[in-house]
Amino acid sequence: MRFRTEVVNTATLTKLVGSLSSLGKVCWMRLEPSTIRFTIIPDQGTQVWAQLPVESIFEETDYTLESNTGAINLEVPLSSLHRALRSAAAAKWVQLRLTQKNRVPLLALTIRARSRVKGGIALGTTNASATDPGDANDRNGNGPGEPATATAPAPREDGGEGGGGRERETFITQEIPVKVLHETAVEGLHEPRCRDPDVHIILPDLFQLKSISERFTKLAADSSSSLKAAASASTSAPVSGLSAPGGSMSVSGVSPKLELSANMHGSLRLAVATDALRISSVWTDLANPALDPSQLSQTQIEQLPSERMRALPGDDEAGWAKVRIDGKDWARVLSVGRMNPKVVACFIHETALVLYVYLPGGWSEDESCLTYYINSYLN
Amino acid sequence: MTTLSFSLLIGPLLRFQDALVCLAKYSDTVAIEAEPDLLRLSALNSSKTAYAAFAFESDSFFESYTFEPDTNAGGSRTRGGKFSCQVYLKTLLPVFRGRTGGRGRDTAVERCELAVQDDLDETECRLVIKMMCGLGVVRSYKLTYEPTTIQHAIFDRSKATNEWCIEPRFLKEITHHFSPSAEQLDMHSENTKAIFTSFTTKITDGKEILRQPVHTSVAIDKKDFEQYLADDGVHVAISLKDFKAVIAHAETARVIITALYTRPCRPLQLAYDFEGIRTEFTLMTTGEPGPDDVPTSSRPVPQLSARQTPAAAQASQAGSSGNSGQMPPPRSRPVRPLTGTASRSAEPNTQATMQQTPSSKFDSLFVPADDDRQWDVADDDEPGAEDMLGWDASANLDNPDSLGPRLRDSEPSFADIGNQMDVSRQDEMGIPPTQRMSQLHGLGLFD
Repeated sequence: MRFRTEVVNTATLTKLVGSLSSLGKVCWMRLEPSTIRFTIIPDQGTQVWAQLPVESIFEETDYTLESNTGAINLEVPLSSLHRALRSAAAAKWVQLRLTQKNRVPLLALTIRARSRVKGGIALGTTNASATDPGDANDRNGNGPGEPATATAPAPREDGGEGGGGRERETFITQEIPVKVLHETAVEGLHEPRCRDPDVHIILPDLFQLKSISERFTKLAADSSSSLKAAASASTSAPVSGLSAPGGSMSVSGVSPKLELSANMHGSLRLAVATDALRISSVWTDLANPALDPSQLSQTQIEQLPSERMRALPGDDEAGWAKVRIDGKDWARVLSVGRMNPKVVACFIHETALVLYVYLPGGWSEDESCLTYYINSYLN
Repeated sequence: MTTLSFSLLIGPLLRFQDALVCLAKYSDTVAIEAEPDLLRLSALNSSKTAYAAFAFESDSFFESYTFEPDTNAGGSRTRGGKFSCQVYLKTLLPVFRGRTGGRGRDTAVERCELAVQDDLDETECRLVIKMMCGLGVVRSYKLTYEPTTIQHAIFDRSKATNEWCIEPRFLKEITHHFSPSAEQLDMHSENTKAIFTSFTTKITDGKEILRQPVHTSVAIDKKDFEQYLADDGVHVAISLKDFKAVIAHAETARVIITALYTRPCRPLQLAYDFEGIRTEFTLMTTGEPGPDDVPTSSRPVPQLSARQTPAAAQASQAGSSGNSGQMPPPRSRPVRPLTGTASRSAEPNTQATMQQTPSSKFDSLFVPADDDRQWDVADDDEPGAEDMLGWDASANLDNPDSLGPRLRDSEPSFADIGNQMDVSRQDEMGIPPTQRMSQLHGLGLFD
């Protein structure tokens, strides 16, 4: 089993891993000859199935993959990988390979970073006298505001490099312990299947959607927790005791559910309702993307539920497909916005929301796509 | 009665606070010592593996500095013309916090006066701090101090064989790559590179592979150092937290850090001087002992990176210990809870109470020499103990034997064991072990 490659698109990989790490601690990373898949299947919450062509993040000509089954399956701790990748932000060259040490399999990330000594690459210290205290005499017009000889410089070994600055090179190796999964361990895992969507729509700017969603979640949480506090004050408060050791959910109990709905006339509605308040935001003039006619015949397209929804007039409430989603989880899903993607949301009324996240860049869209499966909560 | 008072203008006051912030990363208390020509703040961590000291020169750092030692020598607070005490940092730090106002307020601190109240007629043991602020505002604080004798780690710089100097920003850049959960830092060099590796000696069972910490190694060019005079292949490991604390402070001072060390399991010193402040951090190192060191039987060697000397090397070292022309260099060992040595901690007021926190993987800087190798036959042409490191309440390097009990972390050779026997060390140790723990297995009931 062997895997070694050069990472050419570190920024994309870092952002991808970063957005995935908000949804789960570990991911299943499947390396295939032409594609890489990242899958998150949490106990609860959103599933992610991300597939990218090798060349979108790795150097195609320097991609070594050897395995009996033709693929390598790894279980990777996302936060460690994300942290390690951040070291590569200013890298000239990044290599990722599978290795082992003391029988522990590792993903080793080797990074060669270059920087210039003089010219402000330093972290925080822009003070030139700290940069090069040895040769203060041959620079005197060096900009104002320097505490001139505050330092007690150590004797310089060589005066040779004092003048013009110098390129420094740093090698960083990050070794992330991973688990190699046997093919039998993953063959039972399949992408969820769902029926054809009732409504498909391109989401508005994810940052805006995220901040409004978070605002709604917070308002709903505040109002319900104050209600709960009032309720538990009158009764003898078993409520908070139940929800306290729950784990990832908010302390005040289950986090609020947002109602997200859309129709085939370019409208998207985000709403939240509690006993105390009811708010909603509506986006209009969004695009309902056409389905690829090459995949479906005309009659098939006409029979799709989305076409029936499209036939309903825009002001008819029956034309809206609605899902109820967890506010916290939704905010984590929307963290994928950092990749600046195009997101098509497919609504299956009262059942599920499926997001197709297309990354920007020159790769064909069906190849690099992140699919998020979000179950709808019952009312 | 001792008189100690000094005042600081705003610049030095900031430096003074930086020092306190840095010391707070090592210990809960700060030791304050006054001498006629300097004031020293120091801290020793609870496992006694790290020691930090800031010495402020009385004439260049302070606006004014008055120190008159107690002429009545009977007092325990001043010994040998010195005054020493310790103060809780939790109470001392807030006094200095917010001292500049920062928001450009009229009442920002302009200078600071500190005085020690040691007069028998007044409430004793008070450290009086007055913050002189703008518009005539004076903030006064009275803190309790504890008169005490101070422990110092002594590091003989002249004996250090490895040395490097570097700007702290390069070191800081290195630590940026380390995982926040990394605990230790291994340093070594190969050819033109100096390599810093973070690792954690946490034991994880096989199921938790994914929870294991990320190992990070960062190789920088030796050219990044102002000077690099260390042997290739010498691995020394120190606590990453201590290292970061040094860098954070050196960054504020913008000075070149000098590191001095000899070999693994011997202390390492990081030092720099600036603006009338002499700063030194003495940190105990771990790592595999060099080829001229004797392996100890039962101490687990911290797991290092794969570049570490393979274990096979250890076996060959064992044979060489007896007949090498040189007495093997001594090394300190962690205090292990052994049955029958409960008396070890029975003397809380000796300077050498060796409590080591169980979590610490480091040899203490001051652990008494309880290695059973002291019962070996000594070689005649035994060189003097290396890297002397000991207690010194006086911090008087010229006359180290002048005061009280002191310890070396080096083991006594037979030549000087006689001198050592009369100090508190022997009480400290109880009955020294006569047998290796590894030899005891035959005596157990169930072996």
